[in-house]
Amino acid sequence: MLRYSAKQLLNMALTLFAVSFLVFALNELSPGDVARKILGPYASESQVDHLTVQMGLDRPAIVRYFEYMGKALTGDFGDSIVFRMPVADLMFDRLGNTLLLAAISFAVIVPLSVVLGVLAGMRERGWFDRTISVFSSMCASIPEFAMGVFLLGIFVVWLGWLPGTSPLRSDSGWAIWMQFVLPVLVVTFYDAGYLIAMVRSSMVEVMRQPYIRTALLKGMSFNRVVSRHALRNALITPFTVILLQLNYLVSGLVVVETLFAYPGFGRMMLEAALAKDIAVIEAGTLIAVSVTMLTQLFGDLGYMALDPRIRV
Amino acid sequence: MTEKLHPIIEKAGREFADGKLERREFLRLAVLLGVAAPAAYSMVGLAAPALAQGAPKKGGIVRIGMRVQDISSPHTYSWIESANSARQVLDYLTVTGIDNVTRPSLVEKWEASPDLKTWTLHLRKDVTWRKGRKFTADDAVWNLKRVLDDKTGSSVVGLLKGFILTEYDGGEKDAKGAPRKSVKLWDANAIQKVDDFTIKLNGNSANLSIPESLFHYPLLICSPEDGGKFGVGSDGTGAFELVEHEVGKRSVFAANKKAYWGGGPYIDRYEIIDLGDDAAAQVSALASKQVDMIYQGAISTLPTVEKLPHVQVNSVATGYTAVARTHPIKPFDDKRVRQALRYATDNDAVLKGALRGLGKPGEHHHVAPVHPEYADIGYLKQDIAKAKALLAEAGYPNGIDVTIDARPQPDWELLAVQIMVEQWKEAGIRCKINVMPSAQYWANWTKVPFGFTTWAHRPLGTMILGLAYRTGAAWNEANWSNAEFDKLLTEAEGYLDVEKRRAVMAKLERIMLDDGPAVVPVWRAVFNYSDKKIKGYKIHPSIYIDAKDMWIDA
Repeated sequence: MLRYSAKQLLNMALTLFAVSFLVFALNELSPGDVARKILGPYASESQVDHLTVQMGLDRPAIVRYFEYMGKALTGDFGDSIVFRMPVADLMFDRLGNTLLLAAISFAVIVPLSVVLGVLAGMRERGWFDRTISVFSSMCASIPEFAMGVFLLGIFVVWLGWLPGTSPLRSDSGWAIWMQFVLPVLVVTFYDAGYLIAMVRSSMVEVMRQPYIRTALLKGMSFNRVVSRHALRNALITPFTVILLQLNYLVSGLVVVETLFAYPGFGRMMLEAALAKDIAVIEAGTLIAVSVTMLTQLFGDLGYMALDPRIRV
Repeated sequence: MTEKLHPIIEKAGREFADGKLERREFLRLAVLLGVAAPAAYSMVGLAAPALAQGAPKKGGIVRIGMRVQDISSPHTYSWIESANSARQVLDYLTVTGIDNVTRPSLVEKWEASPDLKTWTLHLRKDVTWRKGRKFTADDAVWNLKRVLDDKTGSSVVGLLKGFILTEYDGGEKDAKGAPRKSVKLWDANAIQKVDDFTIKLNGNSANLSIPESLFHYPLLICSPEDGGKFGVGSDGTGAFELVEHEVGKRSVFAANKKAYWGGGPYIDRYEIIDLGDDAAAQVSALASKQVDMIYQGAISTLPTVEKLPHVQVNSVATGYTAVARTHPIKPFDDKRVRQALRYATDNDAVLKGALRGLGKPGEHHHVAPVHPEYADIGYLKQDIAKAKALLAEAGYPNGIDVTIDARPQPDWELLAVQIMVEQWKEAGIRCKINVMPSAQYWANWTKVPFGFTTWAHRPLGTMILGLAYRTGAAWNEANWSNAEFDKLLTEAEGYLDVEKRRAVMAKLERIMLDDGPAVVPVWRAVFNYSDKKIKGYKIHPSIYIDAKDMWIDA
């Protein structure tokens, strides 16, 4: 297991290096020049030239790449040209906010999905199963922005119960916890719909296994069969899927964060990408890739714990 | 009035009395040439517009939803949003109001020489910096010299180049390595300190609009002690102090303890909250009262905002527009095809569909009714049959297939293009829309053969025509060239008399309808949103926002 982990970590380092180069190259190829993007349409040509030279962007891309990587290896991720602060500080702040939103969402989504999925899957085609199936596929098929605007219309514009944006400050008359309600709700609806379906189908499959029928015919009570024999087996497949949601929750919250003006990682990455703020894009991508690869590693290890037949 | 009036005012006054000069134009001239605004208003028999809505109350916070940008270098600002942050702390030498009339600010009074080459600026004597020092001519001279220094990189250079700067070869290179001409003051004495509160600008050519140019948004007067940098705690002569600033998040301004020399401020705190570019987030924040104002409204959010009982929509007519302009290549090399494009467009429908009627229908010649020398030469109505006939005459009996480049933001631009493309279809102009991100569009806007380009408000019609349609002008994005047009434009620019200018303008407008490269579908009204409790605020055509005039009626 230790060797496996070491191998995976080495693999990860190589991937990160390759990704860093790809991101830099793609950023170079994307349209528009940095100085023009920062200065906007009303800036004069000489102002644009001025800034281009000042930022050293008139030098070859490959020189800038190695300069950036050289500094990054020593722990200096440079300064953001959009946010005008050290990338490290910026990441710390924004990633922290996103992790908070992700953690709360995760804490709601996982128990909810597991409970509803298991309840629906244990009696296939029962009324509860049908209701949950319709509900979950509906949720999963409504895009986040549509769901967000819909909920905003009801709770903010119409009822006025909740704040419409989440700047995470309490001085505008809304408690911070209230600012989390709508973003978490949107993420939950969208993500839980998918997870419930996953847990349910896995549960259904397990419930069809001969050993379940045997246990039932033996006279074991239904609840006991579900909790003792079905549950653990039914959770093996969804476990990886659940872990994969971490990727989505860390780097996929762009839409929700933009809609609610939430000062998070996704919105920061979007703005950085639009402005070709390479220092932020590089650091952000490396973080996102690391999160993905680390969850995969934990997924594999967790899989082993759940299913003793698997050895790595 | 005991002081001697500038000879142009005396002449203009006679013309105004004879009915030859329009009231508004006389007003602008008189004020530019040094008559104080209230006096000028009374000279034409008008009451000066009052901002006051009852007696202002003290206290409270105003929060506005606007992008929070890097504001560390005022003299090189290229966004109105940046200037809208720093202007709470720093003052301008002059101020152009919502009525297009320029008034004194740090400059209390100005005089122009009869040839309009020398301008004398008298500074207020009662202004102190927040940190205690007296504001003097040295401060103003330092700022003027700095913005006009090539190395600073300020856009003020472009504005005042003809007046006071001269080009020379300083061995500079641009970003692509090509040699670039440097500029410097044409004379060592060009910006002259006369005494502690008087400055002379000695230009080498006539310039009527110096007071207006002094209000160009990067020309904020910084304390020389801050070295041109701006940030939390920076000194200023303004009503507020910047106490907190985080790019992408928020800025906080606290009212100075000491009273502001210009009156106000009434509110205790002014906060700028960054809500991102998403229009929905802006409305949500407004609906839940997390902000009291939105810097600029979007057409897509207007229907929702109109339903919010505590919010009002502020709007003002401007010369803002976007034009569909062609390069002189097939099929647009034939002027009949360009005419067909204009005849195929229904401007009223574009205005209604893309801007919900907020503005005025365009007239295809890029001179707006708000421009003083605008000539009303009649309105070109949609005429599909005529458009078809023109296309057939030009050798396209079966219509033409073209592609127009447009950008997705702001939302009304793409909407306008979609509406026009549907209209053109009827006349046999089959047009595809190629949407590209704004940044990409701005990198190519002069190069695309057929594109839809936004044009900001300019105070004069001759200014916009000179920028966008004169042969060889840097921003002549249509590559259009018409010798007759160029000649007439130069003639128009030489007339101070607005009636003479208007007569030439009518000819220019007709040339644009006949031969011009562009479809000008609408004149936009700019608009934004504010809570009804905010008083003392009126929207400026350039959306400049001063918090010092605001107060809260709770």
